[in-house]
Amino acid sequence: MEMKRNSGTLIGMLCLTIGMIGVLAFTMLFSPPKKTALAASPSYVRVIHASPFVGTADVFVDGTKLLSSFQFGAVTGYVAIPAGPHKVQIALVGRGIGASVLSETLAVSPGVAYTVAATGATPSSLALQVFIDSNLLSPGTARLRLYQLSPDAGSVSLDTGGDSLVSGVGYKSASNYLTIAPGSYTIGVDATSNTSLHVSATLKANTVTSVFAVGLVHGTPNIQLVTSQAQGLPALPNTGSDPNAITQENNVQSLAGWVWLVACSSLVFIGSSLFVRRFFLLARQ
Amino acid sequence: MKAFRLRAHLFAVVMIVALSSCGSAAIPEVPMVGVSRIIDAGASTTVLPKRKSNTISHPMRLIIPSVAIDAPVEEVGTQANADLATPTQNPWQDVGWYDQGPQPGERGSAVMDGHLDRPGGFPAVFWRLRDMHVGDEVLVRNSLGETIRFRVTRIELFPPQDAPIQDIFGNWGGIYLNLITCAGDWIPSQHQTNLRLVVYTSLVVK
Repeated sequence: MEMKRNSGTLIGMLCLTIGMIGVLAFTMLFSPPKKTALAASPSYVRVIHASPFVGTADVFVDGTKLLSSFQFGAVTGYVAIPAGPHKVQIALVGRGIGASVLSETLAVSPGVAYTVAATGATPSSLALQVFIDSNLLSPGTARLRLYQLSPDAGSVSLDTGGDSLVSGVGYKSASNYLTIAPGSYTIGVDATSNTSLHVSATLKANTVTSVFAVGLVHGTPNIQLVTSQAQGLPALPNTGSDPNAITQENNVQSLAGWVWLVACSSLVFIGSSLFVRRFFLLARQ
Repeated sequence: MKAFRLRAHLFAVVMIVALSSCGSAAIPEVPMVGVSRIIDAGASTTVLPKRKSNTISHPMRLIIPSVAIDAPVEEVGTQANADLATPTQNPWQDVGWYDQGPQPGERGSAVMDGHLDRPGGFPAVFWRLRDMHVGDEVLVRNSLGETIRFRVTRIELFPPQDAPIQDIFGNWGGIYLNLITCAGDWIPSQHQTNLRLVVYTSLVVK
């Protein structure tokens, strides 16, 4: 009699254990994903020296030298900096931060790409001009943008081999992004002061090319075109699937999954009932 | 009577186990996306930071020991809508490496993506990416037999339309490998989830 009672208890424990493990595994397999706290992404900034007044300069950000011997017409690549406000100071090369001729606070947002231009042909007109960039690629085509940074060129237009693409771009302004077929082009920029400039450029597919008009029509450094090409960036992929889709494969898997859940739940029930029965038997004794 | 009840209980257990085996394997086949195997990091070769070389190599396998991922790598490009493409040869088991960006180990942001799940909701290759933590190790084995080691620095969630693509694809300030999969809730009208999970990693240099 004692052996029968012990075997009943053991069977009950076995059923309960197996059943609970099975139910737990089933729920964990299909539990919703955990959410992670968002963290602030850095900003991305590139700098172009477009100030005819300053000359070769040192650029400081938050008191630390970022660029040394930064020449007129030079443009950097995109550099990651923490989002938020930053103190930007520009001084003639070698003169030190204390001799800054331009000092401004630059506020940048998380994940955004910027072009920051040092502009101004006179001491009173020195300023930073900030543009928000978008380097999203256009599949199979090239993107092009014109930045007008010449203080005395007025409104400018852009063409490729005679085909006008954009006009009326004023000082310290940028055009929209233009989509153009990949290829080699002679890019022309016409200013309202009857000044025409040309530069040859190979516009590759999935790239973003920037054309900067810098310098002076009347004065030095002379007006010129500076180009910078960046690799275009894709958008994020769609890597999810319809959880409610019914396919031949998951029909079988789904059915097996539910049968497994029912089986394990039944084992839990049987194990529990054996323990309850055992409890009442002991209580009667 | 008691003996009969015991035998009845045993019979019920046997029947239930037997019935659950009908029509399929006894345990439902949840697709395993990789063999769980601890990589002996001491035995692998760490690739030092390098400039773009003339040696033609490409990533072959992505291995993440902490979440039991050991998957083949396909090359992927972009789709017509500018989205990063996803693996096509073995969509649910392979990881896609964006071949218009740097290779893992080259300067810049190398990027790989993988499906979170397959139609019907069962796991795909990056199902457990959400279980990763900062500090986890990520390994890439390339066609030259080299193993490149990265370590997780950040894990973030973004709505796809507001994602910082410059940060994910265009950081040239170091050597990075970023992993992408879906997250959040399925939106039937858009045929996508509302979030993307991005795991940022940096090269480990010894």
